[in-house]
Amino acid sequence: MIVIMKPGATPADIQRVIERVQSFGLGVHLSTGESRTIVGILGNTSGLNRSIFEAMEGVESAVRITRPYKVASREFKPFDTVIEVRGVRIGGPGLVVMAGPCSVESRAQILETAHAVKEAGAHILRGGAYKPRTSPYSFQGLGVEGLELLAEAREATGLPIVTEVMSPDEVPLVCEYADILQIGARNMQNYRLLQAVGQVQKPVLLKRGLSSTVEELLMSAEYILAGGNYQVILCERGIRTFETYTRNTLDINAIPVLKQLSHLPVIGDPSHGTGKWELVAPVARACVAAGADGLIIEVHPQPELAWSDGSQSLRPDRFAGLMRELAALAPVLGRTL
Amino acid sequence: MIIVMKPNSTAAEIGAVIARVQEFGASPHPIYGVERTVVAVVGETRYVDREVFLNMPGVEKIASISAPFKLASRESHPDDTVITINGVVVGGKEIVVMAGPCSVESRSQLLETAHAVKEAGAHILRGGAFKPRTSPYSFQGLGLKGLEILAEARECYGLAIVTEVMTPEAVPMVAEYADILQIGARNMQNYGLLHAVGRVQRPVLLKRGMMSSMEELLMSAEYILAGGNYRVMLCERGIRTFEKYTRNTFDLNAVPVLKQLSHLPVIADPSHGTGRWDAVPAMARAAIAAGADGLLIEVHPNPAEAISDGPQSLKPERFAALMRQLKRVAEAVDRSLSTVPA
Repeated sequence: MIVIMKPGATPADIQRVIERVQSFGLGVHLSTGESRTIVGILGNTSGLNRSIFEAMEGVESAVRITRPYKVASREFKPFDTVIEVRGVRIGGPGLVVMAGPCSVESRAQILETAHAVKEAGAHILRGGAYKPRTSPYSFQGLGVEGLELLAEAREATGLPIVTEVMSPDEVPLVCEYADILQIGARNMQNYRLLQAVGQVQKPVLLKRGLSSTVEELLMSAEYILAGGNYQVILCERGIRTFETYTRNTLDINAIPVLKQLSHLPVIGDPSHGTGKWELVAPVARACVAAGADGLIIEVHPQPELAWSDGSQSLRPDRFAGLMRELAALAPVLGRTL
Repeated sequence: MIIVMKPNSTAAEIGAVIARVQEFGASPHPIYGVERTVVAVVGETRYVDREVFLNMPGVEKIASISAPFKLASRESHPDDTVITINGVVVGGKEIVVMAGPCSVESRSQLLETAHAVKEAGAHILRGGAFKPRTSPYSFQGLGLKGLEILAEARECYGLAIVTEVMTPEAVPMVAEYADILQIGARNMQNYGLLHAVGRVQRPVLLKRGMMSSMEELLMSAEYILAGGNYRVMLCERGIRTFEKYTRNTFDLNAVPVLKQLSHLPVIADPSHGTGRWDAVPAMARAAIAAGADGLLIEVHPNPAEAISDGPQSLKPERFAALMRQLKRVAEAVDRSLSTVPA
């Protein structure tokens, strides 16, 4: 349930509503807009009567949220969520580009890539230290050593880091190094992991599962939000369909749909969404034109030698070319890059 | 296989190659490019002796087309195909917008829509007279009367017409009225129909089946091209997936893929691709940013009252606002939309 305050409601009116909510043992989430405040009620509100709040001073109305996801819904919070990571704002007018290799392979590889993507205008460095690979015999990531290399690359370039965490017990360790925790597509419904990242105060990049609906993605976001971590970024990275020419079918429809249903920032991943480097640029442009708040793009100094995802990784010069195209497109959509 | 002629080969040399291909029992399809001519050889090619051609004057080399679609492949035809329809050029720099109602419902409905989309800068009028509806009890279209109304709208507003043809027998009649024959998604693999539109000289808008791969779409285009009709436009309109929030999953990956694999123009249909009018503008912009040559958009003067596809139809004023946005997006990706009023 949400309590919508009147445009002229005073801080005292709002405070009385908060106290009333808390008297039922429920939590509060405040959304403060330019003209009005919305008090979101956290917890089980099925026993609450709307009239309790509607009778109070400064309250316009109390409304039940009809969607199964509550805190993630735009009904709960009508204003876009903006997440700040070391000075980079995700979900505002500026497009945010996260770029880097699929896996951290070596010190030289991650530093070279970090400098190249920074030079091209990327805002955040991606790189996997813990890799959920289909085959148990494939490279599983450098682990802590990879995290240390990422931290060194951050030192060298000033780029914040996004990297994946695969299990609840590794959350504290990855948190020590990462600026954004990534939940991979294969873990989108790993509920213990979602609960674990809901307990920490680090932004989370939540990737849509390969066979998950938009609603299921929002329900997974709800797990994290319900834990008290409100800094969640949604990521469309392609779904499984009958079409096999591309690695996945990037569901760009999901971008305007998620922006409509939720206040959380939405990022597109054209690298996984296509699986082919030569399709990354047109599909990246399409994500931005569809309203994405940012992109996550795989870049590798020598894709043909990459230990993972080489066929969908851009060379640094091609990435720089794409960034110039995106810079031309962004202003047309009322965005900046 | 393709026989690549030398840049300075003569018409007589090309003619001799074509005649020799026919002697082997295969079908020659000459493709006249800017620099050189290529003769694509399709059909029964088992008995074609490659050595014979290598020794003919004007022949530079013989190459195999690795894709199963031959005439549709970019290997056989490296330059983009450009189709001119009543002065509208599809497949060039200009983004071509086809707009109008799902179904022709009445004279006033169609004329009102045609006027509105023309004003907003659309190039081509869409409207169904023969409707392939899921239920046999749903409105099946006005038929011939619908075609006559479309022709009247063309007279009034100068817009070319795209409309669907559902059966091979109806092809001659629909071709009399339509400027572009549409093959609907449900008929993408209706091979009798593909053969029939391959034999007429009318451009064809071929929609991807909702359960068809990109390769299957290109194979269906091949049916039409092999019949001798080279003016085919491919249309991505969404595929069926497990996601039910949208009517279809609009596969915009297909836009750059089709442009890479084929020389044919690629049109995108965000109305069917989403099924929701409120997602149409975002996905129309995305389709252009992905490299589509044009769009097919449903517009209805009163979507709430539409006989079909109301939930995915734009009101004329929303369409006009979208066209102004699309003009700016087109320019940002080095295309144009010159018909949109400033």
